[in-house]
Amino acid sequence: MEIIFKNVTHSYEANSPLEGLGLDDVSLTIHDKKFTAIVGKTGSGKSTLVRHINALLKPTSGTILVGDREITPETNNKNLKPLRKNVGMVFQFPESQLFEDTVEKDIMFGPMNFGMSEADAKKSAHKMIELVGLGKEYLDKSPFDLSGGQMRRVAIAGVLASEPETIILDEPTAGLDPVGRKEIMDLFKNLQEQGRTIILITHNMDDVANYAEEMVVIHDAKVKAVGKPKDIFNDRSLLTDDILTLPRSAVFAQRLAKKNFSFPQLPITISELTTEIKRQVHGD
Amino acid sequence: MENIISIKDVTYTYPESKKPAINRLSLDIYRNEWLSIVGKNGSGKSTLAKLIDGLIESETGTIIVDGQEVNEKNIWEIRSKIGIVFQNPDHQFVGATVEDDVAFGLENQGIPRDEMVKEVDAALKMVDMQDYKTRDPQSLSGGQKQRVAIAGVLATKPSIIIMDESTSMLDPNGRKTVLDLVKQLREEQNMTIISITHDIEETELSERIVVLRDGEVVQKADPKAIYDIGRKLTNYGLEEPFSSQVAYLLKDELKLPEGYLNEEELIENIWKLSSKM
Repeated sequence: MEIIFKNVTHSYEANSPLEGLGLDDVSLTIHDKKFTAIVGKTGSGKSTLVRHINALLKPTSGTILVGDREITPETNNKNLKPLRKNVGMVFQFPESQLFEDTVEKDIMFGPMNFGMSEADAKKSAHKMIELVGLGKEYLDKSPFDLSGGQMRRVAIAGVLASEPETIILDEPTAGLDPVGRKEIMDLFKNLQEQGRTIILITHNMDDVANYAEEMVVIHDAKVKAVGKPKDIFNDRSLLTDDILTLPRSAVFAQRLAKKNFSFPQLPITISELTTEIKRQVHGD
Repeated sequence: MENIISIKDVTYTYPESKKPAINRLSLDIYRNEWLSIVGKNGSGKSTLAKLIDGLIESETGTIIVDGQEVNEKNIWEIRSKIGIVFQNPDHQFVGATVEDDVAFGLENQGIPRDEMVKEVDAALKMVDMQDYKTRDPQSLSGGQKQRVAIAGVLATKPSIIIMDESTSMLDPNGRKTVLDLVKQLREEQNMTIISITHDIEETELSERIVVLRDGEVVQKADPKAIYDIGRKLTNYGLEEPFSSQVAYLLKDELKLPEGYLNEEELIENIWKLSSKM
């Protein structure tokens, strides 16, 4: 599903002294079946943006098109289930939403809520628990006996179990150890390669460089830049204004550039970086 | 070096769990040091923090904090010396506004109102959140909430700060602000910092790193010695430092010295190789 924002503005606490703009006239297209990263400083409006995609928030003005579904300021809360089934959202700290007494029931809750039969939901739970890297032996456990990282995986399995076409991830790996983080990121990349649309909010620019095909930079509630990560990370105007930080490989290249190395385009992944260093050291 | 915390032979098993989360663990923490505790999810890091703060009770051994044994009698006095900043800021708010929230810990200590206002303002200024003091904490973003939570801890002037993954939600600039702040507090206020983290680069600022696995201390050394472990750090759920990853990928073609090199040293070595050509 293509997702299109047309002149979307969202004000918080409208008509009160605390009124603030969460989104300011945002127009944006998020392409079908792509892996799109959304980046921006703390408080820039990233979470506000994605919460409009499944109508958890409604625009104050403007329109969002999710496939053929239109969301406007007038959209009411009826009939949102089909939309929310298709747009799965993994929030920050999803484990805080676990509540059932077994892992299996927790994973089944979402799909059954969207009308899947109990037998199918069970089948889906068995498939998803393996997909997120936990074995079937976890299904009978209480989610509250698991470690934070395991709970996170159960919560992600619960979102995947409804088989959404679009998956929105809001800092899904915060607090996971690096090994666990890579497994989860590889899982999302895998899901994309199987035909899903992935939208990832992250502060981790290495994850953007390693996984995303498109990148959206949000700043002060506005879309500041959209494009391929390689191009965006090479846009000097974004860096000088302190809107964007660079992946570690690009920072390393910048430091080498102060010696006798030169990088017409900054490398953004470690393999690009090391390939380029070897080439320049060998002098060809 | 004087111990501020001595942990001796401590064990803790969660109810309904067969395996202990902390297993006969002993560790000394020195006054005014910055200690990093690392290890993969489930290795026992957060459990250890809870034991130190007396939130849970050990089955064996003893924990001494600043000369006092952690037990029912001393628990409140010990807790007043320890400030914990948790990973998820949403679980930490009680006030209706940012300033109320920061004041909460001080109210518990019976500090007069006018003094409290000053302390709250000073703490919010340290984390650069003074402009938000009348806002509802729930209306803030994750990173802003975390800065407020840190202000709440700072306001009570603890002698030990435990950071339980508390920068993992912050953007790189927010993280740097917090780490610089912690560094300054340690130096100026003589605080002891215990930082629980997955981020190997963040440990570079600390003086010692303790690696936990299955509730036991498996490594304990200064950062450089830990980084020398290299690729095998992934066995502990950790990532190799970035400079080591780069060096590893260069080694097949470039002759680099053995052992851990930080970014500056690696750049220096690459530069030397290229200027010989």
